Amino acid sequence: MKALCVSLCLLGAGLFLCSAHTRGLRRCLISMNLHHMEDSFRGIKAAIQAKDTFQNVTILSPSETLHGIKPLDVCCVTKNLLAFYVDRVFKDHQELNPQIMRKISSLANSFLYMQKTLQQCQKLCHCRQEATNATRIIHDNYDQLEVRSAAIKSLGELDVFLAWIDKHHRGTSAAS
Amino acid sequence: MVLEEIKINLIMWFSYALIPCLFVDGVAVLPAPQNLSVQSTNMKHVLTWSPVIVPEEIIHYSVEYQGEYESLYMSHIWIPSSWCSPTQRPECDITEDITATVSYSLRVRATLGSLTSAWSTLKHRFNQNSTILTPPGMEITMDGFHLLIKLEDLGPHFEFFVSYWRREPGAKEHVKVVRPGVLPVYLETVEPGAAYCVKARTFVKAIGRHSAFSQTECVKVQGEALPLVLALFTFVGFVLILGVALLSVWKMGQLLRHSCCPVVMLPDTLKITNSPQKLISCRKEEVEACVTSGLSSEELLKAWI
Repeated sequence: MKALCVSLCLLGAGLFLCSAHTRGLRRCLISMNLHHMEDSFRGIKAAIQAKDTFQNVTILSPSETLHGIKPLDVCCVTKNLLAFYVDRVFKDHQELNPQIMRKISSLANSFLYMQKTLQQCQKLCHCRQEATNATRIIHDNYDQLEVRSAAIKSLGELDVFLAWIDKHHRGTSAAS
Repeated sequence: MVLEEIKINLIMWFSYALIPCLFVDGVAVLPAPQNLSVQSTNMKHVLTWSPVIVPEEIIHYSVEYQGEYESLYMSHIWIPSSWCSPTQRPECDITEDITATVSYSLRVRATLGSLTSAWSTLKHRFNQNSTILTPPGMEITMDGFHLLIKLEDLGPHFEFFVSYWRREPGAKEHVKVVRPGVLPVYLETVEPGAAYCVKARTFVKAIGRHSAFSQTECVKVQGEALPLVLALFTFVGFVLILGVALLSVWKMGQLLRHSCCPVVMLPDTLKITNSPQKLISCRKEEVEACVTSGLSSEELLKAWI
């Protein structure tokens, strides 16, 4: 009887922490203007995707990686993917068109701001094996292509990532 | 003639010497713009600098920016400003260039023909979270018993927190989040005879900051029933107007009738003053008088005809 009581208490505490964790991520990204980022991307989507020469390949692989992410892993995957774009994709892409350069700069700086915000309010963001595996799949997909092609393709899939962030952060803030 | 040519040449060389150019290793250099600063109010950011003066010449300026991302990961990348590459005025609206809440570096250089100055960089990086937020302008109106508010349009970054309450002790303060549009926004249906007060402040989600509240504005709602005297006056006035209108219509009718179909007056000789019965009786008397005087029937008939 006592053991049952203790396990129920532990389960309840675990569930509470889990929901607090997810709510914490939502609160963290509450000041993000995702709408503005989506607008910036929409302005360059056609030009970027037109340069993608490997149409049958995907780097984010949403069905394998993003769609199956559990609430507990959202924090880790968000941080990892932000780092993926900030440390690799934006750096590897070279743009000469000033108009596209402005939009990509806007996205890159917004991602940098998101990283800083997450670092401040999600100090403890444990990465479970599922989250690490999902991130590894994405990095492996990226490494299989030539770096310029990989960067262009990843840029072209930004709408998938933004929609995923929106889905996991919507609900507590006023829609922007 | 020769003397005049020499004079003109001397004047030209003297003018060129007045141009504030420094010759460095025999190469003319245009001075870089100085005193760069950014003024930012309500998320509108303007970069200004001291103009480079060259008499009788138009100087063009180019502005470039570098976000924190570029500074950290690709420091050689500078992006031309949307509206100021180039510009002739010593200022630049960089609002559209500053799109994230990170620090930005800005630089300006001057151009005159083939001459280009060195880049002059803003001393302290600029972050849009340092913008000055002012209390919003607002207009309170009544549409019947609906309390409406119209707020100034400060752009897409802004939301408005509107507080309103009934002006009486212990009244509850309500808060409504408003996004301004073309039309006034409905706040509440109010009770007649009461006074209501409203104040508002802005909130910018991108930087997580509020402005100060605007000055409180109060309105008093008019009572439902008109005062009795006013109602009476209104009724009497209505009756008078109705009477005057009816009189005017009747008079107009009269005038029209007289002008279209005037009454014709008979002369006195044709006026019949006696009744037809008496006329017939008179004729009978004439016949009797004629019989008494012994007239023949033929003469009687002639007299009768």
